[in-house]
Amino acid sequence: MARVRVGLFVTCLVDLMRPRIGFAALKLLETAGCEVIAPETQTCCGQPAWNSGDAPGAVALAKKTIAEFEGFDYVVSPSGSCGDHIRTEYPTLLAAEPEWRDRATAMASRTYELTDFLVTVLKVDSVPGDHEGSITYHDSCTGLRSMGIKQQPRALLAKMKGVDLKEMNGCEECCGFGGTFSVKFGEVSAAIAERKCANVLASGAKAVVGGDLGCLLNIEGKLRRMGDESTQVLHVAEVLAGRV
Amino acid sequence: MSSREDILGRVRAGLQRNAGNAAVGREVMTAALSSRSQGPKPVFDAAPQALLERFRVKSEAQSSTVDIVAAEAEVPAAIARYLAAMNLPKTAVAQPALAHLDWAAAGLTVELRGARDADLVGITGCFCAVAETGTLMMCSSPATPAAVSLLPETHIAVVRASRILAYMEDAWNLARAELGSLPRAVNFISGPSRTGDIEQTIVLGAHGPYRVHLVIVED
Amino acid sequence: MEIKSMRFKANAAGSLANVVLQGNLKNAKGKFVTKRAEALKDLDDFEGTRDAAVAIRNKVIDNLDLWLERFERKAQETGATVMWAKDGAEVCRLVIEIAQKHGVTKVTKSKSMLSEEAGLNQALEAAGIQPVETDLGEYILQVDNNEPPSHIIAPAVHKSLDDVADLFHKVHGTPRKTEIPALTREAREVLRGHFLSAEMGLSGGNFLVAETGSVALVTNEGNGRMVTTMPKVHVVITGIEKVIPTLEDLSTLMRLLPRSATGQSISNYFSILTGVKQPEEHDGPEHLYFVLVDSGRADVVGTDFHAMLRCIRCGACMNHCPVYQTIGGHAYGWVYPGPMGSVLTPLYAGMENSIDLPHAATLCNQCGVVCPVGIPLPDLLRKLREKQTERGLRPLKERIGLRLWAWVAQRPKLYALGASLGARYLKWLAGDADRIRLLPAAPEWSLGRDFPAPQGKTFRELYAARRNRTGDKP
Repeated sequence: MARVRVGLFVTCLVDLMRPRIGFAALKLLETAGCEVIAPETQTCCGQPAWNSGDAPGAVALAKKTIAEFEGFDYVVSPSGSCGDHIRTEYPTLLAAEPEWRDRATAMASRTYELTDFLVTVLKVDSVPGDHEGSITYHDSCTGLRSMGIKQQPRALLAKMKGVDLKEMNGCEECCGFGGTFSVKFGEVSAAIAERKCANVLASGAKAVVGGDLGCLLNIEGKLRRMGDESTQVLHVAEVLAGRV
Repeated sequence: MSSREDILGRVRAGLQRNAGNAAVGREVMTAALSSRSQGPKPVFDAAPQALLERFRVKSEAQSSTVDIVAAEAEVPAAIARYLAAMNLPKTAVAQPALAHLDWAAAGLTVELRGARDADLVGITGCFCAVAETGTLMMCSSPATPAAVSLLPETHIAVVRASRILAYMEDAWNLARAELGSLPRAVNFISGPSRTGDIEQTIVLGAHGPYRVHLVIVED
Repeated sequence: MEIKSMRFKANAAGSLANVVLQGNLKNAKGKFVTKRAEALKDLDDFEGTRDAAVAIRNKVIDNLDLWLERFERKAQETGATVMWAKDGAEVCRLVIEIAQKHGVTKVTKSKSMLSEEAGLNQALEAAGIQPVETDLGEYILQVDNNEPPSHIIAPAVHKSLDDVADLFHKVHGTPRKTEIPALTREAREVLRGHFLSAEMGLSGGNFLVAETGSVALVTNEGNGRMVTTMPKVHVVITGIEKVIPTLEDLSTLMRLLPRSATGQSISNYFSILTGVKQPEEHDGPEHLYFVLVDSGRADVVGTDFHAMLRCIRCGACMNHCPVYQTIGGHAYGWVYPGPMGSVLTPLYAGMENSIDLPHAATLCNQCGVVCPVGIPLPDLLRKLREKQTERGLRPLKERIGLRLWAWVAQRPKLYALGASLGARYLKWLAGDADRIRLLPAAPEWSLGRDFPAPQGKTFRELYAARRNRTGDKP
């Protein structure tokens, strides 16, 4: 069978803030036998524009992303939020242009969040990471409620002998990030994050792990401001991939 | 233009109303009103004894108390026992529909009329009951005034076991069959009145009864 | 009601600083969320019931004119009078006219959010008619200088036991009580007198049944029954969207409304009221009026926000909203708080009067998940943001920023340059630390948290370097 060709949508936050998450995703996909390309012209999926009410900007970026990625067998992203924007919102926001809508729909069915892809499509039976210690998992809102990302990361983490998952209270509750919400209503956003961080700390886990960098930056920033210096904040790809 | 025409006009504009889609809309409406289709319902055993048991359990979960007697003639004595046990007065207002029971023989002073503010105990029948939620269905009429189940601090309701139905939908069908059209007031009652408006702490006896006692007659 | 939604941010800051409110919100959150989850368990098929509820509501709002005419005709056949009000002012005028016609001096009211929209209490008072709120929560607010509600189901949820104890002591002139049952009893005794002496009862309507021309009312306290049983006149004020087809549909919706609102499988009292007192009857009103209110609803029909008309006002969206849970209802500045309010306030009270509300959400979709009539609230909030942008209502700086971002993001080379400069700049800001305390480009972020430092180079730079090393061709 020919190798599966995957287009890796890195996300603009990973590109700017945490390239190692992108490389972790790359390693996980390559280890599972995929041919992985991260198109170098990729920028942003357009979700910030769409969620902020800039429909023309969102439409332009959707078309750009489709043109860059539709040639791959699959589109995979280490983010439930960006992944969902491509999978669910592109066909909606391009509804007025039938040709583009059809291209968006065709790509949507081949677009996955990273852990979902590893579990559902590749059906991997092992992961390369060697992380040791207790972790607690934060379910990011869009991945959870729109893409159904819940068991997939847990199933992968369960394959790692050294990882001890300690579920926190309210693991499905929003961390307060909300994209531009976090910079428009900083105080409210940080107060919501405080509840999340209290639950993280109460779990007793040494690390909090999630699948969306936006939430993780929010949680890490709040933990540090609260004076917690020890809890690691990691993307699930980093944990699963180990050293890159 | 009247407000009515103004409002309906804007609704019609929003729906892009024309003769064609109005005809389709009327068909939808007629179909909905004639089919009276029912939504999904919780599934449970609908055998008579199982319905009675579910009604009892659900009523108690609503903070009602339940007594079961074998025949209607035993109702006054059962109510007298309850009032004595609760240290409540042996004087009550009852719906005129309960005139056929021998209240005096059980030592009760019962006035058959509508309720007044000073009444402490109100005795009612019920049109039927719903096992799904442990709910009484009261239909108002001259013989069954609504306030008897509302003004007194204690509400006692007589429920015939054969009138315990599975679902509210069954109650509507019974009302259509027996009453034709709805009475002025249908009141579904599920336990004593309550409020949670102060710190979400549930307190019984907000504006209506503090306690609801059900006497089920196994007929 | 006066619209204070433009002060959302300042209101929210005040809420965050209010220690008593924060304690009450924490308490309330746990109770509402847990009780709803428990109550859904004995509903074997929540999804199926919700689908049925969506279909019922859609059936009506998709042909709302026809259903309204049908309801009106049936209600008139039962002896009721049906009136129509375009806005709050007309609601007030009609209610006062009805009151004056019947010589009414006092009106007992069960909870009606539309009455709040219309500012009816103030109008009644100005006309010399005494309005008495009888829902315990609403009563507490009324005697506390007409404070607005902070929740549609639990209006006084922001108040503590101590608050109410102080208030009743002051207002009733009675010894200060500290037990909730004693306070409830005190209110009961005060309000019982009003129930018996008022000549007119005023209620909202949870549903209007087209089949029978009835209004359906849901209460726990029994005040809804009181105001519709004891006075000689009953006035129902409801929005035009509240019609449902049949009694069977009422049963389906009632499996969802109390569970979603308070976590009860059914509310204590569920009354279906049809027509007026019959000659031989002991109780019930002699006159029944329906005031069907538009106040912005008709203009929502057929728009992008049409689905909002399905709303049955259970409040589950606010109970589950992380923002509402954090700041409570008053911050939203009008009648309806939470996600429901962030959609309704711009639609009914003006988009220009509530600029912040559609943005005051993380779009986590917890509201959409719990909504018993499947309203896609995050989609509607997003759509409102789009309308704001189209109408130029957003701050210029924000609009330019967004356009610039989208413009740059369409130009990969420029974007790559910007990203690598940005990564280096942020790394420089952090210095030797792993975090940035104050983010100059987004000071709001830094109000309550740090910003983690970036690695310093972008993914695309490192990826290109790796490809050069391994000789891969892109």
